[in-house]
Amino acid sequence: MRELAYYEAKFEALHEIMAGDERVHLINGTFLSLSPHRHVYQELVKKYPDRIMSPPISELGFCGLATGAAMAGLRPVVDISTGSFIFEGWPQVANEAANAFSMSGGQTRVPVVFHLFHGLRGGGAAQHSASPQAMLWNNPGLEIALPSSPRDVKGLLKTAVASDNPTIFVDHVQLLEVKGEVPENDAPIPFGVADVKRQGSDVTVISTSYMVQRCLRVAEKLSAEKISVEVVDPRTLVPFDMATLMTSVEKTGRVVIVDETHQSCGVAAEIAARIAETGFDKLKAPPRRVATLDVPVPYSPPLEEYIGPREDRIIEAIRAVLR
Amino acid sequence: MLPKVSREMLLDFCRRMFIIRHFEESLVSLHDQGVFGGHYHLYIGQEATGVIALSCLRSDDYLFTTHRNHGHLLARGAEPKRLLAEILGRSDGYNKGKGGSFHTVVPALGFLHTSAVVAGIIPLATGTAYAAKALKNGRITVCLFGDGALEEGAAPEAFNLASLWKLPVLFLCENNGKYGAGRATGAAQSSTMAAFPLTDLPKAYKVPAQQIDGLDSGTVHATIAETVEKIRRGEGPQFIEAQTVRWPGSETNWPSVAQPTDSSLAWDVSDVPEKVREWYRSCDPLLIFIRELVDAQQATRAEIAAIEKKVKAEIAEAVSFAVASPYPRPEEAAKDYFA
Amino acid sequence: MTTKREKPTELVPLLRTMWLIRAFEEKVSALYAARQIVGLLHLGIGQEAVAVGTCGLLRTDDYVFGGHRSHGHAIAKGADINRLMAEIAGRATGYCAGKGGSMHIVAMEAGFVTATGVVGGTIPLALGAAFAAKETGKGQVAVVFFGDGAGQAGPFHESLNIASLWRLPVIFVCENNGYAEFTPLSAHTLVERLARHAQTYNIPSSTVDGKDLLRVRDAVAEAVRHARAGKGPAFVECLTHRLRGHYEGDPAKYRELSQLAEWKSKDPIARFIRELKRKKALSDQEVEAIEDEARDLVERAAEFAIASPWPAEEEVDSQVTA
Repeated sequence: MRELAYYEAKFEALHEIMAGDERVHLINGTFLSLSPHRHVYQELVKKYPDRIMSPPISELGFCGLATGAAMAGLRPVVDISTGSFIFEGWPQVANEAANAFSMSGGQTRVPVVFHLFHGLRGGGAAQHSASPQAMLWNNPGLEIALPSSPRDVKGLLKTAVASDNPTIFVDHVQLLEVKGEVPENDAPIPFGVADVKRQGSDVTVISTSYMVQRCLRVAEKLSAEKISVEVVDPRTLVPFDMATLMTSVEKTGRVVIVDETHQSCGVAAEIAARIAETGFDKLKAPPRRVATLDVPVPYSPPLEEYIGPREDRIIEAIRAVLR
Repeated sequence: MLPKVSREMLLDFCRRMFIIRHFEESLVSLHDQGVFGGHYHLYIGQEATGVIALSCLRSDDYLFTTHRNHGHLLARGAEPKRLLAEILGRSDGYNKGKGGSFHTVVPALGFLHTSAVVAGIIPLATGTAYAAKALKNGRITVCLFGDGALEEGAAPEAFNLASLWKLPVLFLCENNGKYGAGRATGAAQSSTMAAFPLTDLPKAYKVPAQQIDGLDSGTVHATIAETVEKIRRGEGPQFIEAQTVRWPGSETNWPSVAQPTDSSLAWDVSDVPEKVREWYRSCDPLLIFIRELVDAQQATRAEIAAIEKKVKAEIAEAVSFAVASPYPRPEEAAKDYFA
Repeated sequence: MTTKREKPTELVPLLRTMWLIRAFEEKVSALYAARQIVGLLHLGIGQEAVAVGTCGLLRTDDYVFGGHRSHGHAIAKGADINRLMAEIAGRATGYCAGKGGSMHIVAMEAGFVTATGVVGGTIPLALGAAFAAKETGKGQVAVVFFGDGAGQAGPFHESLNIASLWRLPVIFVCENNGYAEFTPLSAHTLVERLARHAQTYNIPSSTVDGKDLLRVRDAVAEAVRHARAGKGPAFVECLTHRLRGHYEGDPAKYRELSQLAEWKSKDPIARFIRELKRKKALSDQEVEAIEDEARDLVERAAEFAIASPWPAEEEVDSQVTA
């Protein structure tokens, strides 16, 4: 099977999506963020000049525009760029797009995708490092997808665009260069299907987005100590695949959840609660969370590194549940 | 003056205005009896703008409106009984009770989404306009909002996008502000908006803008018809500020009807309570319209009374229907929030 | 006091500050290239006249707010360049103990309240400071710097409206360099001049050549006079340009190189020096000495910063809440 870099898989998906459905419009265009490969985006712009728009700095304006366009028959993909900027357009995402289908009694569909880059990026400081997906999970009406590999980004992006529901596509700049297998003619990956990224038998490590890659590295390290770590990636928070998680939990009885949203009311908190409620009798130890500390993200590199779900904290948590 | 249209159309305008008026008045007593709760906002005093402006549109044009939406929906032909059922939270409502007064949605009439957040719909309107342009289906979008919406940052962001990308949208601002929330102090028209006139705001973003008297049905018709044509020709967005005088019944926190409407008021307001008499004498668009109809010999008082009588019966029927409509089953709350 | 009555020699300190900013930004750029500074960095090379023309007129207790490109604003307001450099380098000795970085400078003692990474994010904050200043009644004003990209943001309009309605002593200083992030302003709006929006809300405004320090200074002096007299807000639009890309690492491919050459000839520092020489305010040697002194101070600031310790890890929990 061929190997692609994450950004290549993402771009392949965008090309196929744009070619496959002329209702797809792209609004704002930092799908490759500030990576050295971002010129690749210009190929798309040249090919579809009428379907790719570059809006001004008006998040309320263009998130609303994308939502309205979705109501009227297009399938827009809006790039919010740095995840923190969703706060500028929050009313349109959380209060309009999320509510429209339900509060209309099912009459109005909103097939819009809001794409963003979340998390610690190396010097982003407090206002460029948000991971808003936990807050968005607490705002019903939005699907939420978090790819962690080249194959996932391609498959999930296709499903996000095909979905008739407003979808938050949560990406991470640290994933852009990751390499992985991507089958030719890959089918879309359905939402609500978790992926066991690494088989194991001693402990279940559940993680999302870029943390999946970090957990895979940790799992490899610990295998030298004969600790067998199973890494499970939910891939989507809404809809959420509890069954796959529980199969793993039942097998190992020990759970560590690693996620970049802040600890309080974070993604890891919700997953831990669900597991405790559903499989308490299967657990041999309390679930442990490894999340970003509850502090505004500091700028200085050692401080930023400190507050994130560091490798040493993940390892410590794994050892703790194995005791 | 009257719009330059057929007598048939004029009478239809009359009928629709009556529908709005009697529908809205019926809500007050229903609310006061406790039949429904929550806040609600009435379109009384603005009927001419809504009915006549919306008559200039195609059936597949998009419409966005706000918390003050009943008049727009009814003007466009929504069924009073289904609208009322929605306001009462019943299962026969347009949104199956999930939206209520604030969020009534009727896609077949062009209302895809109604937001109760001031200015919430303005960016959305640029979206449907964008889609219509991209899909080349000739539809235009009319975005209806009040003067307060211009205070929200979303409004200038949307004007900028609309003019930058030449979107086929009509921003129709119904300024009922003379006695409104932004009560005038000093030189400003309003204590909450420094721009004056309001049309300066869209003009700053090169969106052509004009002010019209929302009580003058003839002007409303001529202006909107012409403006809609410009947009359909691809000339880009337009802004119209239609001025009306706020209905005194919404002075208090909750709407109250000091004077139930009857067509005879068009000629005799002597029995109207003094504190609202002047409004009914000279600022009520419905009464102005029927007076003009009779003056222009397009209808007799008797014909108008007959129309009103039929409308009252229809509204009474709508009330019976809505009140009898069952509430949705509680489990419905957890369903149908994803497509 | 009008700037026109100033003796030319009184203007020399302004050149010192301009050179300090220029030398500082060039040094930061070099440190970034050497990977001694990381993260997002936005340099204001070429925009010194606006920073100095504005802040040179202000009191220490006037409030200044910046954007993401605010090293120069902070320096012009009197921030300590050692602590500033240390902050940009993420060191414990920085203004914010390394927690803010380049885009979140805070130098309260100098009256530089804060910068921001959100376009237009400090505009509403400046309103607040002006509101407080009005209540306090000591004649303070608030000044907020932002770029042309902020003109399309909702909060910009909301702030103009409120400032005008409540007659707040806030001065909006817009640095219109014709580019918002990576695209030209014309791709973001049909409106070429942001001062046009001030007019909508009946706020007095002026548009000046932002590369000409004395023109900026005159316009701001008028605005400050207006605000201090309790007459409400004012708007000064300074037409300028960037001499580097939007952020460090941006190859500025979108800009015609020929344009750059033309702009370099309009360098605000060179222009001001010509002006001072014409007024016989200083000699060639004095000009050189000023540049040398600035570079020397900056060099020492860099040494201080790089030699400073990183913040201790436990510091993440400190000062999260008061």
